[in-house]
Amino acid sequence: MALFTKVYDWIDLRIGAREIVKKELTGYLLPRNINEWYSLGSVLLVIFTLQIVTGLLLLVYYVPDAEKAFKSVSYIMNELPYGWLIRLCHAVGSNMMVAVLFMHMLSTLFMGSYKSPRELNWLTGFTLFAIVQGISLTGYLLPWSQLSFWATTVATNSMSAIPVVGQFLVEFLRGGKLVGPSTLGRFFALHVGLLPVLIAALIGLHLFVLKRTGISTPPFGGTEPTRPWPGDSYRHQSHPGGIPFFPNYALTDLTSISIYFAVFFAVVFFGPNLPFTPDSFVPADPFKTPAHIKPEWYFLANYQILKIFPSELLGLMVQAAAMTFVALLPFIDRSPERHPLRRPLFLTLAIGGILLWGALTIWGHYS
Amino acid sequence: MEIEGRRKFLGVCLAGASVAAAAAAAYPVFRYLSPPSRGPGIEKVAFADTDLAEGEAKFFEYAGATAVLVRTKTGEPVALSAVCTHLGCIVQWVKSSQSFLCPCHAGQFAADGTVLAGPPPKPLPTIPVTVAEGKITVG
Repeated sequence: MALFTKVYDWIDLRIGAREIVKKELTGYLLPRNINEWYSLGSVLLVIFTLQIVTGLLLLVYYVPDAEKAFKSVSYIMNELPYGWLIRLCHAVGSNMMVAVLFMHMLSTLFMGSYKSPRELNWLTGFTLFAIVQGISLTGYLLPWSQLSFWATTVATNSMSAIPVVGQFLVEFLRGGKLVGPSTLGRFFALHVGLLPVLIAALIGLHLFVLKRTGISTPPFGGTEPTRPWPGDSYRHQSHPGGIPFFPNYALTDLTSISIYFAVFFAVVFFGPNLPFTPDSFVPADPFKTPAHIKPEWYFLANYQILKIFPSELLGLMVQAAAMTFVALLPFIDRSPERHPLRRPLFLTLAIGGILLWGALTIWGHYS
Repeated sequence: MEIEGRRKFLGVCLAGASVAAAAAAAYPVFRYLSPPSRGPGIEKVAFADTDLAEGEAKFFEYAGATAVLVRTKTGEPVALSAVCTHLGCIVQWVKSSQSFLCPCHAGQFAADGTVLAGPPPKPLPTIPVTVAEGKITVG
């Protein structure tokens, strides 16, 4: 311990470490009524880090070549020591990241934390959500299995419904008329190069905005006086008399992360086939479409909407309108009230939307 | 005092659990990245006696590394490791001087593997060769 203190003192003298710790950790005060839902952002940071680490490890052996990709993934899964663990952590982690992101967004919606002055937090978070879906879609093709190949064919083909430029966009995305080796090259570059960098940059921006605006006070269970923001000048929302981030809330973060890991490893060890279907274990065959090809669970509602509407363009427009509505929600819902029970219209729309999404997902799964 | 003791005990437990978790995560990663054991590789290579002309050299894979078979002007075939004893580059056969040159740091070896010049600290290791019934067997 004495050695630790000596090293800490040495660093402190040079960069003022104690001052940073006081400002950012022990002196960083949060609302007294802060709840567990606020820790989902930290859980997401852990998941993203784990995806980067497992992704880098997979890159050591994965070969992004249409002739060799499936074989390299089989080699990782079946021959390398613990290769199955690394791959499953990555595959399960991608699904969990989307699931936790959903929960993080829902908690923000129900607690009204997206409202002014936090429009930028919501917009950066929503963009992150869209890019995470993009990184999941591009990663889906990489194993070059029947499932990867045909799910990508269907997903990219849906863009052809866009008038005028639709067909051009599909071919541009695929690098040819059909999904093939050039699509793998493009998706690989997006998945391991561009999209992770974009996500990391947006996470940085999201946290920067969060720090500058200050943490919102939960709309229930507290006595902290609320001072509405007049909107005439910048104001950081501080919480005098609140609880320190470290050690108090860091422990809540740690608890949430532990619960996440319990669920995550339960899936990895006891339900390893959950992210896969039998078509995931067959190499891609461009001449043979398997029956009942379905996208990942989080795209099932979109998939079902495209099936329901007689025109694909109409289906796409409905989805685009819904996404735009959610993205611009802070600019549409301008009332300062944040308690969900005192926002009956919001509550009805939100619960209705979740039920509709759930129903479409189940319908898409069984259709 | 009791609180201090409890705090210290919990701190030690937390540190222990963290070390165990880190080890549990590091071990699979270490095994995953460790090179697979591929065995000793080919340990016996045969060539037709007519394959190797006088003053010529032939490079081949032997025991997981690169080796060279050279027939000197005296007519006897000699097999050597082709890995330079200086820093591991593969030596090249220079027919005009009937010697080996390492292109990395200009180490020079005679046709029997002995060091002629440059930084190599040791001669090239020799590999047993037998000639019988028109075949040269290395190893």
